[in-house]
Amino acid sequence: MTEENFEKFLKKTTQTYNVPPVRVPREEMWAAIQAERAAGPRVVYGGGASSPVHERRFGTRVWLGAAAAAMLLIATGVGIGRLTAPKAVPSVAANPSIPQPPVTVTPDQTNSGTASPAQVATTGGESPRQPQHATSNGGQARNTDVSGVERPVAVEIQRASTRSSSAYQLTAMQNLSEAEALLTSFRSRSSADQQMDAQLGTWARQLLTNTRLLLDSPVGDDPQRRPLLQDLELVLVQIVQQLSPGSTPQDRDLIEKTLQQNHVMTRLRTAIPAGAQHGS
Amino acid sequence: MQLVAYESRSSVNDTQLITRVVAGDAAAERELYETYVDRIYRLTFRLAGDDELARDFTQATFIRAFEKIGGFRGESSLSTWLHSIGLSVTLNGLRKTKRQRNREAPIEEGITVGFARADAEPDLKERLARAIDSLAEKYRTVFVMHDVEGYTHEEISEAMGIPIGTSKSHLFQARGKLRVMLADFAPEWVS
Repeated sequence: MTEENFEKFLKKTTQTYNVPPVRVPREEMWAAIQAERAAGPRVVYGGGASSPVHERRFGTRVWLGAAAAAMLLIATGVGIGRLTAPKAVPSVAANPSIPQPPVTVTPDQTNSGTASPAQVATTGGESPRQPQHATSNGGQARNTDVSGVERPVAVEIQRASTRSSSAYQLTAMQNLSEAEALLTSFRSRSSADQQMDAQLGTWARQLLTNTRLLLDSPVGDDPQRRPLLQDLELVLVQIVQQLSPGSTPQDRDLIEKTLQQNHVMTRLRTAIPAGAQHGS
Repeated sequence: MQLVAYESRSSVNDTQLITRVVAGDAAAERELYETYVDRIYRLTFRLAGDDELARDFTQATFIRAFEKIGGFRGESSLSTWLHSIGLSVTLNGLRKTKRQRNREAPIEEGITVGFARADAEPDLKERLARAIDSLAEKYRTVFVMHDVEGYTHEEISEAMGIPIGTSKSHLFQARGKLRVMLADFAPEWVS
């Protein structure tokens, strides 16, 4: 009896529990539903996404971060290369008025016995760059460093040249690897993806700047590298233009044509040693 | 009363409606919405106790239903299917909201949570609401659906995905706990 009474009591009193409004906001909710559906997928309370989310393989931040890191690395490399590069030695024959730095001959170049030390190490006497010991035994020009250790000037120049050359080579490799990645991304991109276009445009501009810097660097003097860098520069200019507002689909065809005619991708891949993409 | 009205919809009508919705018929979507929105909203409001939350849950229910209706195989009625989505959305949403509120609640308030203060709140309506709110989720859901909104155990079991016996058991447990919590008001139902 008490049980039944309690049930009756509950049925009577529980109607006051969280009483919904008399008027259901149908129109407002319908408008919100339509707006939500028009806006695309979203996460709902049921857990998980309301529809399969088409995720990008790489997010915006990753692209921009990678591009910024690449730019920094290349700029650092070019900077180091420029700082460590030896000053150009002016040719005496071309301009005799220029004070002549010491001309050194490495041992294997020395025709021992035929050249005197004075002849081998011809010094520009007025030159402030004159080494402390212009001549020494064995017909080799020598330089004394802070620690007092004597080093052959030729060896030092050679080492400096090797260091700078390595820096330029590293930078060039990095740039070419980035260019290959960019071109691959550009060719596989969807033309409707404006966000991706903006990222690629930024990336292409950075690479274009770096490529031009490399063309002005000793790497640009390399007879094999220079044509590749020039073709790459052309392609990058086209890409930057194509990704700018107001471009036409024909521009994209033009880029594709340039890539195919000049075999840019093949040459890029040939120029990049295996593993360079994953390396430094 | 509403329940009878909705039950009167034939499965043929539902099948035709679903076919049109799947085909992208906007009018059919609206028809489906108009048919079931009141009941879904009422239930979500009863469970959430808040208009804004009830709206959010109702909207999410229909958004999800429209997205998934292509996969509806007709193994249950459209109403049951919609209610199962509605319950899932609402209960998950309430858990999430509860977690957020617990995190945001000041320490002083957190200490008092769970303590009934009969002397401070003598009002039956208030006490009853507190008592129902303090029930475990599964008991509260069955109780609200059955005793407050008038769903049958069959409907509850299908919507919650539990056996009918479990639904009855949950209701029994819920009533028993409420009886203990409302013992102060025993004269109200003994007399």
